[in-house]
Amino acid sequence: MAAIPKSPFLLLVIVLFSLISLAVSSESDDDRVSELLTLQSRSQSGLIRLNDQSISRYLTSVKTPRPYWIVIFFDALQLHEKSELRLKELRTEFALVASSYIANSKDPSSPSHGKLFFCDVEFKESQSSFALFGVNALPHIRLIAPHQGPKESDQMDQGDFSRLAESMAEFLESKTNLVVGPIHRPPLFSRGQLILIALGFLITLPFIVKKILAGQTLLHDRKFWLLGAVFVYFFSVSGAMHNIIRKMPMFLLDRNDPSKLIFFYQGSGMQLGAEGFAVGFLYTIVGLLMAFMSHVLVKVKNVNVQRVFMIFALLVSFWSVKKVVYLDNWKTGYGVHGYWPSSW
Amino acid sequence: MATADASNGTSIRNAIGSVLSFFILILIGVLAFSIRLFSVIKYESVIHEFDPYFNYRVTQYLTKKGIYDFWNWFDDRTWYPLGRVIGGTVYPGLTLTAGTLWWILNSLNIPLSVETVCVFTAPIFSAFASWATYLLTKEVKGPGAGLTAAVLLAMVPSYISRSVAGSYDNEAVAIFALIFTFYLYVKTLNTGSLFYATLNAIAYFYMVCSWGGYTFIINLIPMHVLLCIITGRYSSRLYIAYAPLVVLGTLLASLVPVVGFNAVMTSEHFASFLVFIIIHVVALVYYIKGILSPKMFRVAMTLVVSVGLAVCCAVIAILAALVASSPTKGWSGRSLSLLDPTYASKYIPIIASVSEHQPPTWPSYFMDINVLAFLVPAGIIACFSPLSDASSFAVLYIVTAVYFSGVMVRLMLVLAPAACIMSGIALSEAFDIFTRSIKFQLPYHSGHSHVHAGDASLDSTVESDNVSKTEKSDDTSKERSLKKNKKKEKEPVEKPLSSKSQVKRLLVLPFEASIIAIFLLVLLGAFYVVHSVWAAAEAYSAPSIVLTSHSDDGLHVFDDFREAYGWLSHNTDVDDKVASWWDYGYQTTAMANRTVIVDNNTWNNTHIATVGTAMSSPEKAAWEIFQSLDVKYVLVVFGGLVGYPSDDINKFLWMVRIGGGVFPHIKEPDYLRDGQYRIDSMATPTMLNCLMYKLSYFRFVETDGKGFDRVRRTEIGKKHFKLTHFEEVFTTHHWMVRIYKLKPLKNRIRGKKKSKSKASSSTGSKRKGSRRNPY
Repeated sequence: MAAIPKSPFLLLVIVLFSLISLAVSSESDDDRVSELLTLQSRSQSGLIRLNDQSISRYLTSVKTPRPYWIVIFFDALQLHEKSELRLKELRTEFALVASSYIANSKDPSSPSHGKLFFCDVEFKESQSSFALFGVNALPHIRLIAPHQGPKESDQMDQGDFSRLAESMAEFLESKTNLVVGPIHRPPLFSRGQLILIALGFLITLPFIVKKILAGQTLLHDRKFWLLGAVFVYFFSVSGAMHNIIRKMPMFLLDRNDPSKLIFFYQGSGMQLGAEGFAVGFLYTIVGLLMAFMSHVLVKVKNVNVQRVFMIFALLVSFWSVKKVVYLDNWKTGYGVHGYWPSSW
Repeated sequence: MATADASNGTSIRNAIGSVLSFFILILIGVLAFSIRLFSVIKYESVIHEFDPYFNYRVTQYLTKKGIYDFWNWFDDRTWYPLGRVIGGTVYPGLTLTAGTLWWILNSLNIPLSVETVCVFTAPIFSAFASWATYLLTKEVKGPGAGLTAAVLLAMVPSYISRSVAGSYDNEAVAIFALIFTFYLYVKTLNTGSLFYATLNAIAYFYMVCSWGGYTFIINLIPMHVLLCIITGRYSSRLYIAYAPLVVLGTLLASLVPVVGFNAVMTSEHFASFLVFIIIHVVALVYYIKGILSPKMFRVAMTLVVSVGLAVCCAVIAILAALVASSPTKGWSGRSLSLLDPTYASKYIPIIASVSEHQPPTWPSYFMDINVLAFLVPAGIIACFSPLSDASSFAVLYIVTAVYFSGVMVRLMLVLAPAACIMSGIALSEAFDIFTRSIKFQLPYHSGHSHVHAGDASLDSTVESDNVSKTEKSDDTSKERSLKKNKKKEKEPVEKPLSSKSQVKRLLVLPFEASIIAIFLLVLLGAFYVVHSVWAAAEAYSAPSIVLTSHSDDGLHVFDDFREAYGWLSHNTDVDDKVASWWDYGYQTTAMANRTVIVDNNTWNNTHIATVGTAMSSPEKAAWEIFQSLDVKYVLVVFGGLVGYPSDDINKFLWMVRIGGGVFPHIKEPDYLRDGQYRIDSMATPTMLNCLMYKLSYFRFVETDGKGFDRVRRTEIGKKHFKLTHFEEVFTTHHWMVRIYKLKPLKNRIRGKKKSKSKASSSTGSKRKGSRRNPY
């Protein structure tokens, strides 16, 4: 009783709303842990959905130190469409950490069992909790230690969820000294799917072999290989691999003038998606035009057609090379110059 | 009569062409060699950077002690107190090459020093590499393309960056070995000669000796063989080119200690064994097809296919089980990050952090292969018309290399030769057509052209050229040319139809447009030359052991590193141990001849972490760690006075991270203020008290009175402090290297007395340190 600062009536309301137990507030910490455990087992993802009432029940109204840690993911459904916040992705990753933790400490005798609870709070349902924690920007993940109040608790930095579930788990392990254990990611294909794929492959295998022996697959078509080779070349020189690994956006918004888009980034260490493809296209087009001239155009009989196409190809090639040289000098800041010894 | 005349004319022309090619090749070699001398001219004949110093030291040992001692060399000058087995852990190709060169020169009474030989090994081998490129491209598309490719390779910036005079590293000889191995493979493929197949295995052996990149060869060639089989291009020449390479190559590769049983145990090599099995199955099928009637064959076919498939499945299953039983699935982290580009960034931060392993952006391509990037697509298309075994190999090479270079900027080096070959083909083809267009449409020439052009300008030009060329190269052995003709039978079946249906007409482009096109091509080539020379002179020639800077009052030379190493070698005892961050390990052992704790061969993470921890600890704790390692001197590199950005303060966070990875009491956030790394007055106390800060900035305020750091562009946080456990013994002219000595232990009795008398004095912490110190 003494531990709870609010009036008994309010408390009663809270307890009623908390949907879990009808017991009065004199219950011990153990009861709260077991309630949280049942809530946890009820939810599919292992996340406990908290609202204003349950937050006060499990956090603010509990005498510190609490027997458990709580980590809260602040969620807002209406912001799920904003892809740059990555809320959806982070939430699934967070749930992944939760379920892995639960699975790894399932055994009641393990030291981590019932020590850390993964919760989420929805903005629409529990706006006052957002205010209570002082959350005004998402994504926001907060870890509340047993002795901490909502304000002084630790916030997970941008860096801590940069590598998703793994780095979240590292953060939690370093702060709580509990063991999260390995992250159990659901496999890409389920077992049934895998068997189906293997079966399908085995069935089609004889047909494929027959086709290959007969020599009439797509693989025997030179054009297919040619296109493939040129495409791989285009893909690589455009730096698309860089964009994939670094998850670069196609373009950026100009900070000074939001209505403008930035397609070209100055500085050689980084590039934007559209920029890479544009230059990759310029790289590729010159060679293609050259090949066009030396393999197709020579066979054309009409001299004037040849002339027009050639002039066109030369102009385009010249322009592309010039453009790339200009862009490169602009981007890297190198000034390529002839190198003559000034004196001997 | 006419044909005899014509053949006589062509043979004279061929002879002149060969002589010309020979001289052009010599000039290309001179070009490749001399463009790499900028570093010697601008600086001096000195070994560059870090790893080359190790190679240099190994070469010195080899020339002094001989090959057997080198093979068994246990180096106790490094990784103290662990030491390192050198003979079994280096790729010996480079060392043996330079050692042999030195030995030959010396036995010819040309007394060059080992260092000179080492400095010039890379330029010499880049000349060889351009000749190898000529040979390879000649096999693919004829001598014209070969010469163009060779001249392009002689000055491709990407290759220059790894082979300037003084950069004495594995890649210097490995690129030559790579191209030469490919040449011998293609040569075997074209001739079907066992002689070349054997040479190919030996060249592969040389490549294995030289560079870890040999796995590229042993995966690319099987890929090509598989491709040929799938697209129905199997021939006995393919078998001869491949089977001996796998058998001999693997046996030879396992002779190299650093590879050893890896040649059969790791997944990088499994592809070759798998294809080895497949090619035997296919060979069997073709053989049976040859000896049976078509009807019988069909019966046998089903039998063989089913048995063959069963065998294949069994073998694949065994292989898969073998692979799956190893934890990383048998692939090393680097190889995995090539297959799945996002792998490294997710799981191996240490690989992802190295700048060489970053994925390149488009300007990197422009910097490293320059205008070749524009020409490659034309080369690819030229290789497809017509597609031969050799040209399909070239296409496969460029495609895989360009993909890998997209993942790791370092592999641009492998792409460069491929890009040169492709561009050489493209350029030579374009020049061929444009010059032909001009030549046969010149006003006074118009009457002649049809007669002369006869066979030279038909659609089948390339085809007939190819045939004549291959026959020419084959006429030493009748049997081979017979085989060749058999092989060629397939093509002529289609060929006559197409060439007959074509009107006998010049394949030319408009005269004036061709002139413009040639002009533009020459312009493009000129731009390439200017860019390459600029890259060689400005971007890639700095030895990084001697630094220069241009300012208003002229050229400044910073030779502090050698000054410091010289001081160490003259003023310290031979057996003294010097601690520094691992970057300077190779240089210290090579130039100062002193024992180091860690060096650039980062095989033992714990040991590096120990040094990192010492550098990030407060003075006393650091002193204890160093004392436990027998360290006498500590060397730090400091750029704050002259503005040298890659100094230890800038690398310091890595020391903290690596140290913290093993010793958890070092925590990175302790060194960061609000996630920012800073050394000014806002820096954290941990940062201001750590050894690296103190050793770097000790007495720094005396230089300008304010302690302004020119690299971080800020005034330092803690300006006046004294060192308790270390004493400064040497600081170089520009303060770039500072050497400290560990203060000796206090005399035990005196310490005790002091502790009684001066219990409240300010030296309390130090006194306690020396008393508690267990050493």
